Amino acid sequence: MRLVNLLIDFVDRRLGVREIFARELQGYLLPRNVNAWYTLGAVLITLFSLQILTGILLLIYYVPHADQAFASVQRITNEIPYGWLIRMLHAVGANVIVIALLLHMLSVLFMAGYKGRRELTWLSGFILFNLSMGLCLTGYLLPWSQLSFWATTVATEAPGAVPIVGDLIVEFLRGGATVGNQTLGRFFALHVVGMPLALLGLIGLHLFCVKRRGISPPPFGADYRRSELPDTFVYEKHPGGIPFFPNYVVKDAAVICFFLALLLGIIFFAPGLFFPPSAFDPADPFVTPPGIKPEWYFLWAYQTLKIFPSELIGLGVQGAFMTFLALLPFIDRGPERRPARRPIFVTVFFLTLLIFLGISVWGHYS
Amino acid sequence: MKRGLLFVSVALFWLLPVGLALAAEMPETVCLQCHGGQAGPLGAPVKAWQGSVHQRNGIFCHDCHGGDPADFANAMSPARGFVGAPEHAAVPEFCGRCHVGVLADYRESLHGVKLAQGGAQCVTCHGSHAVKETSLELINEQSCTRCHDYGRAAQIKTALAETDARFAGFGEELERLKKLGVSVAAAKGALFDLRNRYHRVFHSFNVEKVRAETGRIASELEKLRNEVAGHDARFSQRKLWGGIVIGLLLVLGVVLLQVRHTYEEEERDR
Repeated sequence: MRLVNLLIDFVDRRLGVREIFARELQGYLLPRNVNAWYTLGAVLITLFSLQILTGILLLIYYVPHADQAFASVQRITNEIPYGWLIRMLHAVGANVIVIALLLHMLSVLFMAGYKGRRELTWLSGFILFNLSMGLCLTGYLLPWSQLSFWATTVATEAPGAVPIVGDLIVEFLRGGATVGNQTLGRFFALHVVGMPLALLGLIGLHLFCVKRRGISPPPFGADYRRSELPDTFVYEKHPGGIPFFPNYVVKDAAVICFFLALLLGIIFFAPGLFFPPSAFDPADPFVTPPGIKPEWYFLWAYQTLKIFPSELIGLGVQGAFMTFLALLPFIDRGPERRPARRPIFVTVFFLTLLIFLGISVWGHYS
Repeated sequence: MKRGLLFVSVALFWLLPVGLALAAEMPETVCLQCHGGQAGPLGAPVKAWQGSVHQRNGIFCHDCHGGDPADFANAMSPARGFVGAPEHAAVPEFCGRCHVGVLADYRESLHGVKLAQGGAQCVTCHGSHAVKETSLELINEQSCTRCHDYGRAAQIKTALAETDARFAGFGEELERLKKLGVSVAAAKGALFDLRNRYHRVFHSFNVEKVRAETGRIASELEKLRNEVAGHDARFSQRKLWGGIVIGLLLVLGVVLLQVRHTYEEEERDR
């Protein structure tokens, strides 16, 4: 402990880190009525860090070539000490991240946290969500299993419905007419370099936006304030609020523990939850396994394409919905944030949620 | 060469999942289109084939009888390899083009030796078109006493029964492990080989040979079962350690929430 203090003293004398710590963490005040939903950001940072760590470890043995990818993943899972744990943490962790991302977005939507000149915070978060989906999609192909191969074939087929440029988009995504080694190569590069770099940059931008504008307080209780649309930049202060460190960090840490417990619970007690049987057979372009479905978080998109008479209409509806969601802070500009005073928004919110769940379940059983 | 043919024959016979997928995907051949719509003896083989072990494994008319399954005009052309139906004594050679190992054991058996005198051949027990796979049920008093008394067959069936029970459910055990991420390719290959040896020994109809070979098969099967048990033990151990870590995380989470409560009390008092 003395050694740690000596080290901190050494750095502090040169960079003044104690002052930064006191100002940015202990002096960073959160609204007094801040709730557990606000911990999801810290949960996501922890889970993304775990993905980066396990991803780097997987890279040591993974071979990004169609002839060896499946065997290398089998080797990681069966021969490398604790390889199974690292792989499971990475693969199941991706699913838990999607759960946390959805909860985070839904809580921000429900509490109208995007209001009050927080459009950039929302947009950076929305892009982060989509980038995470992209990471899931590109990572899905890497084990080069039957599931990987055919799910990617189905997913990359969808843009083909776009008139004129559809086939070009499909070819661009696949690197050829069909999913093959060239697709694996480009998905691998995107998954391990391109997208993580963009993700880190966007996380930085998102945190900067949150910190710079100030936390949007929960729209509940006596401390409720209407959202303002100031003409110039204003930092939303929370005088008399809760210090971020150590008061709120312990709650962040508690929820992180619960999420890690959930992650490990799935890995140890329901390891097959996110792995259908076709995930354990090597990719075979000549044999289509029955009942290939995308991951649970893409089921709504998969089923939407099937509901409409043409895939183009399905793609159009998906695009319109996502565009609306991205631009929501620019559309919903009223100062009221309390859900009880926004009955139309709350009705649409829950109806949309139910429709999404319904379409996903329909997609699973279709 | 012989080993190669043996492998091909066994692969053709046992690649069930691939066969099923192909059967589901493969378009109807011209043989099925034409004979399937006919009444009487010309249509009967198609009805008999439906549900047979061949149909379930994607083995179509042309796989045995030759010809061109995609061309109505040349479907039964000898130039396209059509060979029609074999005579009684030619049946073992006919089936043995794929079932090479079984043919070798059959030839050495009393059935094979007596073939020229009208001895039993493949279809006598397995049927033609409605082909039944090798199983203990095929050895039964009603079937065997069509040609001879049941005593020796009963002895063989008894010798086989214990090994047959050892195979039961083992494939499913390996599938279960596979779904947990265990690489079972080598074990499945070994099981495939043992099953093949087991099905071959059926055809020798030699009690001593059956007893000796089934003993060896049983011992090798036991080794495979021990491997599975080893994996299960490892999974149990993982669950134990995983459960402890999860428990610790939950306790830590609850403790941290309690710490947060103390901060909340301080915040209220401020």
